[in-house]
Formats: sequence, structure tokens, C-alpha cells
Amino acid sequence: MTRADGFWTVFVREVRAAIRTRAYLGLLAVLAAALFGVARAGGGPAGGYVPTVVDLLVVVEVLVPTVAFAVGYRAIADPAARGELDVLETYPLPSWAYVGGVYAGRSAVLLTLVGLPLAALGVQVATTAGPETTVFASHRGVDSPLLYVRFLALTLWYALIALSLAFVLSALAGSRGRALVLALAGLLVVTVGGDVAVFAGLDGGLVTSETLGGALAMTPAGAYRGLVFDQVLYVAVPGRSAFVSGAVAVGSLLFWWVGSLVATELVTDTR
Amino acid sequence: MTGETYLSANEVGKTYGDVTALSDVSLDVPADAVTGLIGPNGSGKTTLLRVLLGLERPTGGTVEYGGPDAVRRLGYLPQRPTFRPGFTVRETIGFYADLVDDDPDRLLERVGLGDVADRPVDGLSGGMTRLLGIAQALAGDPPVVVLDEPASGLDPAMSELIFDVVASIADEGRAVALSSHELALVERTADRLAVLESGAVVTVDTPQALRERTGGPLHETFTSLLERESAVVTATEVGDA
Repeated sequence: MTRADGFWTVFVREVRAAIRTRAYLGLLAVLAAALFGVARAGGGPAGGYVPTVVDLLVVVEVLVPTVAFAVGYRAIADPAARGELDVLETYPLPSWAYVGGVYAGRSAVLLTLVGLPLAALGVQVATTAGPETTVFASHRGVDSPLLYVRFLALTLWYALIALSLAFVLSALAGSRGRALVLALAGLLVVTVGGDVAVFAGLDGGLVTSETLGGALAMTPAGAYRGLVFDQVLYVAVPGRSAFVSGAVAVGSLLFWWVGSLVATELVTDTR
Repeated sequence: MTGETYLSANEVGKTYGDVTALSDVSLDVPADAVTGLIGPNGSGKTTLLRVLLGLERPTGGTVEYGGPDAVRRLGYLPQRPTFRPGFTVRETIGFYADLVDDDPDRLLERVGLGDVADRPVDGLSGGMTRLLGIAQALAGDPPVVVLDEPASGLDPAMSELIFDVVASIADEGRAVALSSHELALVERTADRLAVLESGAVVTVDTPQALRERTGGPLHETFTSLLERESAVVTATEVGDA
């Protein structure tokens, strides 16, 4: 038995549990209905990939972290409350293998929940939009399926980052009740708290118009939004440049992603 | 009893802020024997077991493992074992068995749960859940098995069955440490008893030797030991005043 075997044992149990959880089917249906409903209301699918992304961006910024927190807020708090973490400490299973296995399993669930409806929406655009959207553009100013694939990839990454934030809060909670309260507070901070803090800084003079882009890129939602503008929306609009630096946004998202997972492992290990 | 000590606590102390949970506790857990911890609620039994397991770091003293090398040195049954819902008994024990390359069917047969392997864990009775917890504690064949209140809240027949299983675990050469309020069963099963009161070990002896102190059943000895301890504490406090 290697430590990697322990990781896979935990991962397989998470996936098995997810397959048996009917609530995830409900979550998938609600998310799909919301995304298709918003896209249809905005008329995006008929207009092309970029108009669809424009319709979806704000909704996705809120819905994706919400689904990620729903999937992950009890991931560590539940086994802690059951006493399972104490029992597992007597096994040759390092905490990184446990946290990693649970995270990988729930990531598979989350990627399915978020990826399936967005991919289906992409297929709808392909079948309903004008013929110019079928061009696989390699230059600015043209709508393209590749832009939608970029949006999908960035959104899935944003989902994984939100899940890692949910994990660290779950590890800190230690009980189901506190896990729910921390998850709701965390969700509020991720979806609107970052922007509110930046604009409060702007109002108070801590953030200037020169540093606004960098400050927005420091928050997960701001960095994600900045990258979607940089890599998807402005690619199709000649002469526009992104409001945040792509490199800073990627660095920020990596920091939140890796930092949250490392923090989850440390909190779980020192319980 | 082989006399070989597999686990020992040496002058262990544990405090939580101003509260002293354990004070200068020394205890050996020998192989091929059941070491029982008895004492009133809040006397420090669970804390001592958790310190022995390494789940709590002592604020003083040391805990040493002296048993053979093993994939898993210590097996643990918590006071209220709870398993992840939505899985069968076999899948549940299979998860733990996979972590230490053990055979789940062997573990279920060992505690008599082979016939309910396909039952969901959320549908098990309290006694069966405890037996599944013991099967989990035996996964990987650990030389030391620690059981926290293995029969609390169970009917007499199930309590007896649990203690029979516990005795057979020690007969296989393991060192078993357990805490319990089931004095009659502990008296029958344990080879050595440690009486705890207010985080300190009052005495350690065989059940027979403890019984002979009062000439009656173990609970009389237990009560008289604790009364004597309280009297000493009261006398000390009066003397200090």
C-alpha cells in the first residue's frame, strides 16, 4: 500500500458517494435551467458564442461558486464531526492524501455539474447561431467556438478555486452547523465581498484608478472576470485591452487555489 | 500475558487552559492482555486513551510504542463510531481494509458481521455498528487496539458479545486498552485494571487483587477507592486552609 493508493481509495469513495447522491441531479437540473434561461432571455445563443458569454458572465460568477460551496462545504466538516478523521489518523494515510482524494473526487462532481450545461449551451449556440460563428478564428474581431472553449476552461478553473475555498472553510468549521455558517459567509465574500472591498478602497483612497485593475485581480471573482474579458470578450472586439493584467490574474487565481488546498491540508493535519 | 509492554504512558499530563484532564499518569499496556480503565465520568479515561493513540498531544510526559513493526500500529474504536451513510457494511469496511491491504470479508467474519455485509450502515443497530467499529479497529492487524466505551448504551446480551470479541482480540497476542462503565464485564474480561479519578491513576492491579481489598464485587472496591481518594483530597484542602 503506497500513499498514492490511499489517495485513490479516498477518491473512489468520493466518486461512488456522488453517484449515489440524487441531490446532485437536482443541482444539475437547476443550474442547467438557470444557465439556459439566462442565455435565452439575453438572446445570446442566436447571436453567437461571445454574446452568449456576455449574457452568462455575471450569472456564472455567482452560480458557479454557489454550486462549488454546495458540493464542498461539508467535505471535511462531516468526517470531522463523525470522528472519521480521528480514526483515519491511526492509518498509514497522510492528510495530504486524504484531503487530495476528497478534493479530487468532489472536483470530478463539480466539473460535471458545471461543465455539462455549459457544454450543452455551446452546442446550442453551434446549432442556432449564424454561419460566421463556425469559424475557428485565430485573430481578433471574429466570434469563434474557441472563445467559448476558453470561457468554459476559465469557468471550470474558477469552479475548482471556489471549491478549494469551500474546503478550507469546511476544515476550519469542525462541525456541520459552523460549516454552513462559514460557507454562507465565504460565499458572500467570494461573490460580492471582494468587489465591495476594492470599491470601498477606491472610495477611501487606498485604491487609485491606476491600481484598480491590480486590486480587482487580487480577488478570485475579479481575476476570473478579468481573464474572461482578456481572453474571450476583448479578443472578439478589435482595439480593446483588458482591465486587469492577465499575468496578475493568473497569479492571483493560482495563489487562491494552491493556498486554499495547502491551508486545508495544514488545518486537517493539526486538528 | 507475555509481559511485553507494547504501549506505555510515562508521567503524562494534559491540560486544557486551566482545566487539568490528566496529571502525572503512568501506565503500561502489555501484550496478550486487556487493560481496563475505569473511573467516574470526567475522570480522564477518554483523554488518556486519546493521548495513548497520539490523537491528543500531552502537555507533559511521553507515550512510547514498544510493539512490533506493523503497517498500522494502533487500532481505534471511538466512543460513538459513526460511518459514512449511503454505503453497505462491506463497502464501508472495504474502504478501511483497502488503506492497509487487508481482506474486508475476513474482518467482517472476525466480528460476526459476515451475514449482514450487504446491509446499509445506516440501517445497523447500535450493537452491530459497534461490531463494525471493532472490525475497523482490527484492519491491518494492529498490535495495539484501543477501545473507548465499546459497550456503552447496548443491551446486556450485546454488551456481553462485544466483550467476548474484545477478550478474543487480546487472546491473539494483541495489547488491548479499553475504558468502560460495565464493571461486571470489565471484571470478567480485563487482566489489569487502572482506576482513574480526577485525571490521576488511583491504583493499577488485577481485578482479583482489587476485589480482595474489600472482599466484595468490583463495584464495591471501586466505590471505596474513590471515596478514599475524595477523603484524601478533602483532608488536603482542609490542611492547606
